[in-house]
Amino acid sequence: MRRSWLALALVIFAASAPHARAQMYPRATPVPRTTSIPALRALATEREVVERFHLGLSAEARGDWQPAAAEFERIIALDPPEPQNSTARYDLAIAYANLHRLDDAARQLQAAIARDSGFLAAMANLIAVDLSRGDLRDARAMADRFVASAPDSARALYERGLVALRSGDTATAENDFGRLLHANPAYAVAHYDLGLAQARTNRYASAEQEFQLAVDLAPGYARARFALGTVLLREGKRAQARAAFESVASDSASDPALRNLAVAMRDAIKAR
Amino acid sequence: MLAAVIAVCALTFGYGYAGAQSLEAMLDGALVPSAAPALLGPITEGGRVGWACKPEQVAGAGSWQNAELPQP
Repeated sequence: MRRSWLALALVIFAASAPHARAQMYPRATPVPRTTSIPALRALATEREVVERFHLGLSAEARGDWQPAAAEFERIIALDPPEPQNSTARYDLAIAYANLHRLDDAARQLQAAIARDSGFLAAMANLIAVDLSRGDLRDARAMADRFVASAPDSARALYERGLVALRSGDTATAENDFGRLLHANPAYAVAHYDLGLAQARTNRYASAEQEFQLAVDLAPGYARARFALGTVLLREGKRAQARAAFESVASDSASDPALRNLAVAMRDAIKAR
Repeated sequence: MLAAVIAVCALTFGYGYAGAQSLEAMLDGALVPSAAPALLGPITEGGRVGWACKPEQVAGAGSWQNAELPQP
């Protein structure tokens, strides 16, 4: 009886082994079944593209941006078809951004999106690159496109809200951060940015509410607490404002520049 | 940083002269929007369409945690 079970187990194992092997290992590189020179050249190029992707991605994983850029530049020179072309440009842009070649990074991302109009990750990165290089006009155009392509994307709403806030379009900023918060009410940073948009249009009561929510959600959020102090001061709530600045001033984990400013504000309120 | 130091010096030593208007200007300067999110990571030669393309999933995610947005 015991032997028959053992035999059955061996039969099952033997039967499943080829399938298991097929799952564990990638298929072997096919042997070229052609003697045509153009076909062989195309196969060699295809293989070079894949190999260079692997080398470039390994270099990016190590933070070796210059060698990574060289691999992706070579792939683009080989002009592979989609999706490899736009993907190589996207990866090259990451290397360029880390090499502080922001204009080059933006150009590659624009080219990637031109080849693949629905490339959301490229749109997201282009907006971040545009914000870094201070091109708010291009950032806004891409942010509008990102939101239109993915209306429920948290990153799309956050990035367009940020671009709008930096360029003084408080209405769009308020709309985008409001939508983001509708789906993510516990996101403290969006409460902070929404409060900022409201404070800039002198709606201090609403701004106070948003800043308060931000610090309730993230008690160590010094910038939101500082902002709360400023709106409280504008509302004439001097004691509460002073308490907010005191809290930032005594928080050793907060940004030193912000802490110094909070100390000055706290003392200024005391002195008045 | 320099702006902050100037602001602190102005507040500490010259508040009596600075007056309410400059105080407001300093407060406005301190109220800056949050940081831009970090760049999304690289994509393999398979392209963005594959089911395992994390950057593309992150770009389209509806929740702020999955979207890898800045922390407070």
